[in-house]
Amino acid sequence: MPIIPAELVHAGGNPTPGELETCLLAGRTLLADTPEHLMQVVDVLESYGEVLDAYSINLIHQAEAQFLNPFPVFRFLDGDLSPARIWRHLWHDRINYEYAEYCMKTMLWHGTGGLDAYLDSPPFLENCRSIIARKTRRDPLLAVLHPLFPEFLTELIRAAATTHALGQFWRVMSDLFLDLARAEADGTVRTIEAVVEFIKDALVAAAAQPITYAVEVAGERFWVLPPEAGLTFLVDVAVPYVEAVFLRGTPFLGTVSFNAQAQQISPDQSTFAYGALFADPLPTMGAGIPPSLLMQDMYRHLPPRLHRWYDQRTRGEGDVRVKICMSFQKAMFCVTNAAIRGTFPHPLTVSEPAAQEANHAHAAAWAVRLSRARTDALGAEEGTAQA
Amino acid sequence: MAPAPSLPIQLVWLIPLYGFGGMVLSLPWASGWVKRNGPRPAAYLNLLVTLLAVLHGSLILREVLITGPQHLEIPWFQAADLDLRIGFDLSLTNLAALELVTSMSLICQVFALGYLDKEWSLARFYALVGFFEGAMAGVVLSSNLFLSYFLLEMLTLSTYLLVGFWYAQPLVVTAARDAFLTKRVGDVLLLMGLVALSAWAGSLEFNDLYAWSADADLSPLAATLLCLGLIAGPMGKCAQFPMHLWLDEAMEGPNPASILRNSAVVTCGALVLLKLMPLLRLSPVAIDVLLLVGTISAVGGALVAIAQVDLKRAFSYSTTSYLGLVFLAIALQLPGVALLLLFAHGLAKALLFMSVGSVIATTNCQDITELGGLARRMPATTGAYLVAAAGLTGLLPLGCFWCFGLMVERMAAMAPLFAAVVLLTNALTAFNLVRVYRQVFLDTPHPKTKRTPEVNWLMALPMVSLLVLVLLTPLVIGRLDPAPGIASFSWRTTALVVASGALGVLVGVLVPLDKFWSRSVLRPLRTLQDLLAYDFYTDRIYRATIVAFVAGVAQLTNAFDRVVVNGLVNRIGMGSLASAEALKLGVSGQLQTYVLTVVVAIVLLFGSLSLFRG
Amino acid sequence: MGMLSTLLLIPFLGTALLLLLPGNPPPGRMRGVAITVLSLQLLWSLRVLLAFDPAQGALQLCESLPWVNSIGLDYRLGIDGLSLPLVLINAALTLVSAVCTRDISQRPRIYFSLLLLISGAVNGAFLADNLLLFFLFYELELIPLWLLISIWGGNNRAYAATKFLLFTAVSGMLILGAFLGLALFTGSVDFSLSPVLSDRLSMGSQLLLLGALLVGFGIKIPLVPFHSWLPDAHTQASTPVSVLLAGVLLKLGTYGLLRFCLGMFPEAWALVAPWLAIWAAVSVLYGSLAAIAQRDMKRMVAFSSVGHMGYVLLAAAAATPVSLLGAVFQMVSHGLISALLFLLVGIVYRKTGTRDLEVLRGLLNPERGLPFTGTLMILGVMASAGLPGMAGFISEFLVFRGSLPSYPLATLLCMVGSGLTAVYFLLLVNRAFFGRLAITPPTDPAHDSRLDIRLAGVAPRETLTTLGLALGVVLLGLVPATLGHLSESSTALLAGLPHVVLASTGAGGLG
Repeated sequence: MPIIPAELVHAGGNPTPGELETCLLAGRTLLADTPEHLMQVVDVLESYGEVLDAYSINLIHQAEAQFLNPFPVFRFLDGDLSPARIWRHLWHDRINYEYAEYCMKTMLWHGTGGLDAYLDSPPFLENCRSIIARKTRRDPLLAVLHPLFPEFLTELIRAAATTHALGQFWRVMSDLFLDLARAEADGTVRTIEAVVEFIKDALVAAAAQPITYAVEVAGERFWVLPPEAGLTFLVDVAVPYVEAVFLRGTPFLGTVSFNAQAQQISPDQSTFAYGALFADPLPTMGAGIPPSLLMQDMYRHLPPRLHRWYDQRTRGEGDVRVKICMSFQKAMFCVTNAAIRGTFPHPLTVSEPAAQEANHAHAAAWAVRLSRARTDALGAEEGTAQA
Repeated sequence: MAPAPSLPIQLVWLIPLYGFGGMVLSLPWASGWVKRNGPRPAAYLNLLVTLLAVLHGSLILREVLITGPQHLEIPWFQAADLDLRIGFDLSLTNLAALELVTSMSLICQVFALGYLDKEWSLARFYALVGFFEGAMAGVVLSSNLFLSYFLLEMLTLSTYLLVGFWYAQPLVVTAARDAFLTKRVGDVLLLMGLVALSAWAGSLEFNDLYAWSADADLSPLAATLLCLGLIAGPMGKCAQFPMHLWLDEAMEGPNPASILRNSAVVTCGALVLLKLMPLLRLSPVAIDVLLLVGTISAVGGALVAIAQVDLKRAFSYSTTSYLGLVFLAIALQLPGVALLLLFAHGLAKALLFMSVGSVIATTNCQDITELGGLARRMPATTGAYLVAAAGLTGLLPLGCFWCFGLMVERMAAMAPLFAAVVLLTNALTAFNLVRVYRQVFLDTPHPKTKRTPEVNWLMALPMVSLLVLVLLTPLVIGRLDPAPGIASFSWRTTALVVASGALGVLVGVLVPLDKFWSRSVLRPLRTLQDLLAYDFYTDRIYRATIVAFVAGVAQLTNAFDRVVVNGLVNRIGMGSLASAEALKLGVSGQLQTYVLTVVVAIVLLFGSLSLFRG
Repeated sequence: MGMLSTLLLIPFLGTALLLLLPGNPPPGRMRGVAITVLSLQLLWSLRVLLAFDPAQGALQLCESLPWVNSIGLDYRLGIDGLSLPLVLINAALTLVSAVCTRDISQRPRIYFSLLLLISGAVNGAFLADNLLLFFLFYELELIPLWLLISIWGGNNRAYAATKFLLFTAVSGMLILGAFLGLALFTGSVDFSLSPVLSDRLSMGSQLLLLGALLVGFGIKIPLVPFHSWLPDAHTQASTPVSVLLAGVLLKLGTYGLLRFCLGMFPEAWALVAPWLAIWAAVSVLYGSLAAIAQRDMKRMVAFSSVGHMGYVLLAAAAATPVSLLGAVFQMVSHGLISALLFLLVGIVYRKTGTRDLEVLRGLLNPERGLPFTGTLMILGVMASAGLPGMAGFISEFLVFRGSLPSYPLATLLCMVGSGLTAVYFLLLVNRAFFGRLAITPPTDPAHDSRLDIRLAGVAPRETLTTLGLALGVVLLGLVPATLGHLSESSTALLAGLPHVVLASTGAGGLG
């Protein structure tokens, strides 16, 4: 007995790990190549690029200008204390920088990859010691607290380092996504395949870009992430970011119970599957769903073309942020697709069996992980235009 | 003739309205009417009105300190012999409670701004907190039982909505339901008592009720039932056995609401019981029930708390336990001590829950077996935990130490058994606090606590402010109760209290700790552990008894309705229904049939009438 | 032309206007005419309210016109604190049901004229100061309602409509029989409303007549076991008709109970009152328990009506000034609240195509669900469960407070029923509105969460009526003194009747 008319329910198919692996090895894109997908992905990434631009500027501002500030009241103002800006801040007519902080905390908390390893290394601790020594000389409160809680300031410096690194990462991504939008407008990018290639090329080009971070404490400049640490864009920041935010994520209070006795959350963080590729877009803007903040930010920077397209679908303006979230998920699959492509150990055209084996292993590992993600977003959409 | 009361006192009715007003002010954001901008202005507006409530309250408090208690009444509804009024009693006790409630609400709201920083439904949260605060402020000031009941029910509603804040989460759904229904059972029983009192005593002003109860002529059965009804409401509100289940489940709600619930809301419930205390003289049975409930809650709650692995639940059961002690004090007619304990517990418990909140916000985890090593990195959180723990136990001379001293001293004279209950609760609580401290703050960092920077300033600042308040509690208590003085107990009592606290701490330091949800290998111990961890299986007992009973009777009624009542009707009406099927054919087409039917009916009617008339 | 007659004339003339409207106007035009007429009626009712003197308990603004004198059928109208709130509720709720009528493509002319006809007939019944006149209006409302169910109803409408017709016809016959019997026994054809009429009768014949009236009105209210037509009628009726049925037409039964049973047979009433209190408690508990077991939201709300109308019987049995005032409050607040709930259930049904609580989930979802409907639903069910600050609480409080001294056990049982209301309505809200949005039975849990539900949104104008009713519910709950002021004198007069009659017969016995 159909309770609800069939046209009101849409459940996409979920490809098996085998299908995903074949797709990756054949060099096909995960996302079906349709004109609508292209428009959604490019436009949603354009708005994302604009939002990331603001996030990036703010994170770098926080890490540099609000370093170890106990009351960073104006940390979201980027140093602009004009009354107009303060008013817009109070009226919440602004970017939700809280989401950027949330991503930073998620990345810090999951702690994978080169950046995290460096945060435990002796040179880093040595740098911290000199920074703290300098800082506590001027600050009696910290001078009292530091001996009592010896890792307090170090931990805050780790957070600041992650903040800065994420800011640098997003700087690159923001430029990339805005370039992509321009390329599509020029007509150089016309397919999903071209989008994935564009992102892959940009990631590969930026791969070796160094990640560094220095702060000024009481007039003296200190390295937190010095150039000699050799931290680079792709391996040390981008990969941990994808791991922490796209894949693992953190459980949302709005959908998962934190009750220890209910044991809904795995004790092992590495098995978490709450990230952007796994999240359910439907509850967006509901209570306890942090990505709502990002969707709101993107909604405020939506390109007119995509906005018009949304207006013609389902509830139009009424559920636009759920639709943004769905398009965003498609776009994130493209980005992931590009990252997977960029990190194949050998070119896909290789004929040597050992190299092929390595490529197979790489694709298989990703396919298994992605098979549990919301791959129902990958198929082409049916005609869903409604009045 | 007394001089006219000053403006702040005349405007005292505004105090509950600040909170409710905050709710109304939040509506544009909470309802999604403001679409482009974020919800934070709603939070700021609520903070502002709450600040007004705090200031207004302190103005009144200052004045009442000089002029003495005041009373204010506004008529609300009158009919026949019924006269319902909105009345406020501006006594020192009520105003102190008011300040506790409003300032706690203020602190919580600042804390929530940090804790819920990535929450898009912030406006709804603040609207609900405003509603919550308005109801609480009204309850503590209320001078009559009707208004108290009115607002207690609003508290029930707002608890339901706050617990149900994350309504899409499956466990929240059941938690909100259970919180509402458990409290509602208590409320309906209280309503029965209220209606009976209204009918028998006429006025519902507490003072009139006291006078009435002095020479009321009630049968023992009526008096007992009345008093049991009256204590049922506060029992539900204060999460006492057997109506404690909801507080555990209510921990599914947002932490800032848990702070308020474990400190201010239970205090409101207990305050209503305090105001009802003189009436309980009517029934010795009710007093015995209070004592029994208080004892079971105090000891049972403390025991269950020890077996919890969930950070929030470990302390929510301790709330049940402390309120059990308050019930004991009220049953033994020690209102002063009960008040002091409420005050000291409220502040310290709120601080403890703030600390818990910042642990959860930093680690995304509530399982204490997965936590560890926070003490070296989180000064505000650790400090808050330690001070709150000290404030809750009778060991260091902070709030609860003095309360326990007074309680033990008074109870030892009239009922030594209950003094022992107090000491036992103290020891168990100390044990629980130390055990959790070792597991969460000491120990080596676990994977989920590898990276734990201190929380942001919006959480740290209220936490530190409250920390200072808790440290100052003994001074405040001293000012509130100057008559016998807070230190009016003997050295022997002091030694007992300190010894019980120290014993708990010692055992807590020495006991081996669970790792990752491990259970004892010894079968009897494991059974006991499970029994406590699952709260004596109370939820299963309920499901097997009351819930099954109501569901069964409901199904039975429904089946009876369908088979017997409806079946009978169908059989009787079979002939006519068959003709209805024939009529159905006509429905599609000919309206004339209906018009004809109507005309025929009317003709028949008049025909019969004139026939009868003959 | 008297003030009260105008109240009858407006809807009846409106009916005629609609029927005579030339050509074939579009449904929107018909609706517009109906809404205009009903707005006029509401305005006129407010005018009556202004002219009404609340200090006076007896019927006022009376109008009298001899009509069919030979059979005692006089055209006599009057209004008092008992009928005025009901007239207002009728005006408001008929307007609401006309406003919330959408997409009536099938015979809009007939539909709206029937709506107006019902409204006028109900006004007539509430205003009639003559037994036969009351009966005429009481019957006049029946056929249009039957048509509304059987033409614009659901799939099983023929069954439900016929059931409704049979039950209500029996109800009408019993009432007519009792009225005629009264004339027969007293040997007078004075069908005016007077308790003094009955004290000439023996207790046996009084009880007989009262019994017939009780069953007659008991069917209409409805009381268990005569309720079985109501859930079927509601589930088959369209939303506006349900609003009318629950909000206005059930009140005819309780109004009759107070006006004709208590008002005309106070002596016999006092005798049977303890049994009536028990009957009330049974009805309340039965309705509430049956509601818990329902899966269909609308059926649940219908059974809740059975439970909540039982409070009125309890209040009438106790017949104290406070309880009778409570009865008036309960009639008004039940009218508002059940109308609100039926409207909301109607919105859910229209958007999702189902009312099954096993199927609906998570409708509070802010973007794709029905969040505003859900919010008002929470308000509505809380009001129905008797949460303070809303209309249900003060009504229940007055009923219980007035009845407890007379019938403690029955009152306590009714309060348990009030507690059960919270149970089933909470289940409704929790099941349908909380959780993740999904509108399908969770047959495959793995796939359940991946369904992408597409519901049409609710336009703001669709919720205006519900918002208005919700505001009314809250206002009445916060400022009940307004209604109390209107009705108090009349209910006090009604409550005093048994004593007056007893005193007069007592004196007669002595003399």
